[in-house]
Amino acid sequence: MAEIDNVAASRRQPAIEISHLTKDYPLPGGRQRVRAVDDLTLTVATGQIFGLLGPNGSGKSTTLKALLGLLRPTLGECLLAGVPGSNPAAHRAIGYLPEAPYFPRFLSGRELLRFHAKLCGIPRTGREEHLAELLTRVGLAQAADRRIGSYSKGMLQRIGLAQALVSDPPILILDEPTAGVDPVGAADIATLILEQKSRGKTVLLCSHLLTQIEEICDRVAILHRGRLLAEGALDELLGRCDRQALVVDSLPAVELTAFREWLGERGGTLHGVERPPARLDRFFLQTLEQAERVAAAPAAVTGADSR
Amino acid sequence: MNEAQSVPLRFSCRRVGVLAGHAFLEAVRQRVFQFTTLLTAVLVVGSLGLRELDFGGAELKFIADFGQGALVLFGSVLTIVTTVQLLGGELENRTVLPVLARPVRRSEFICGKFLGAWAVVLVFCAVVTALLLAALWVRELSVLAGPTEAPVLHGGGAPYVGVLVGGALQAVKFGLLTAMVLLVGSYAQSNLFAQSASFLLLAICHLQYLARDAWQTGHGWLERLGGGLIGLVFPNFQLFGGEYLMAGADGATLALAGRVAAYGAVYTAAFLALAVWSFRQREI
Repeated sequence: MAEIDNVAASRRQPAIEISHLTKDYPLPGGRQRVRAVDDLTLTVATGQIFGLLGPNGSGKSTTLKALLGLLRPTLGECLLAGVPGSNPAAHRAIGYLPEAPYFPRFLSGRELLRFHAKLCGIPRTGREEHLAELLTRVGLAQAADRRIGSYSKGMLQRIGLAQALVSDPPILILDEPTAGVDPVGAADIATLILEQKSRGKTVLLCSHLLTQIEEICDRVAILHRGRLLAEGALDELLGRCDRQALVVDSLPAVELTAFREWLGERGGTLHGVERPPARLDRFFLQTLEQAERVAAAPAAVTGADSR
Repeated sequence: MNEAQSVPLRFSCRRVGVLAGHAFLEAVRQRVFQFTTLLTAVLVVGSLGLRELDFGGAELKFIADFGQGALVLFGSVLTIVTTVQLLGGELENRTVLPVLARPVRRSEFICGKFLGAWAVVLVFCAVVTALLLAALWVRELSVLAGPTEAPVLHGGGAPYVGVLVGGALQAVKFGLLTAMVLLVGSYAQSNLFAQSASFLLLAICHLQYLARDAWQTGHGWLERLGGGLIGLVFPNFQLFGGEYLMAGADGATLALAGRVAAYGAVYTAAFLALAVWSFRQREI
């Protein structure tokens, strides 16, 4: 019974609470200060994917650092599952991917994960299998034993994501997880984030890729000059709760008029007729997939012949 | 989730060990360690070739002094460069962020860096001292086997115990220097500043006798107070020289070496505590 109460309590407890966070940095000379974050209040419910948006210098990274206790807030408080982020005990619940991650060049990808796994106290039994599985999930199984110094920017993001996931934390804080990653990699990372959500994890992510944010986030907040401009569910913010788009083959003008009348008879309104926007990222992925299929086909034929 | 987090995170020697192992691995894979160790080894072995010169007969003592000099000089450089790289490099490259986002106390982080950096210097000291002892043994054997009389053996054979205890004292001194460099690095904003300030501290600690002279025989109260303060705050690195051990290590000199090691341990603990305090104040 107590266990059920605990589970219920953890569901009610927001994963992340930021209340009236203000952070000032002193300017050189020490007399003047610049305000990086100004009275920010946010709540991220458990199990949500929350997007933190804003232009460069809007205070996103400062907010994340304050949340992790790496910076001391000038005012306000940040809680991770009810525990102040400045308390290292709160970090048991999180995995963090910093912006433009830079990891020790002298380690291999596997050694880096092993180091973080040891820090998190993951027992030796089954550790190597867990690391191998993680490396496979982020697509780095082949490069696992290469020095990180030889990794591309995209590979650095992937290994960073793997180290964030190493302890299977309930809260993931990802700062620009797809920066520098090619579209295929970005799509893989988006799938991985959605997979985490389906497992009940909470994800707070900063990104400039608005299309991706739109696809995977439940709620977003927009920051500008340290202030919160807007916050809410995507449908609420974009005003599309009571509208739907139907994608059909092109209709002649007569049929379109008939459809409009049919809709009018049922109390509906056709607000506009336009071509659905072509998505370059989808086209790019489809083209690559097609090329992969073509490349794989002769190999399959050759394989069949040789047998 | 909440229940697990509410358990306070106590200082963990296991995590310190993990961080120390990581720091050690990073340091030994750096070229500075490999280059410094190789250069010092070449110098120690090369000192055997200097026997053609006439130094007045005390050749084994010369080899021992030469080796100790190389150990002191390159050990100091290695300690400062490695420690600055281990802490300042992590801060500058921001590799520290994912580590401190783990359930890790900042005191554990600094202690891990200290142990990792010191372990590297201990390996250096062990390698150089072993080479020096081997060089002395080889030279002693060749002299004893030679057809001519061996003036080098005046006053006994090679100072093996002196070299060994001297190497251990240098290792203690480098541990203290590591703690001092960590204190500097915990508030320094750049590696250049951290290295410059650390070399300055090294010079001050080696010139302690000037401060102590000013304290004891200074002309005005200001000079005496300043000398006294500097003499108290900064450890005297000349104590770790161990020249007295080369003349022959008896019970009294070994006891003195023990007291010097204890003096170094006390200062190390104090500087390490200051480094932890300073790093806890730091915003990253």
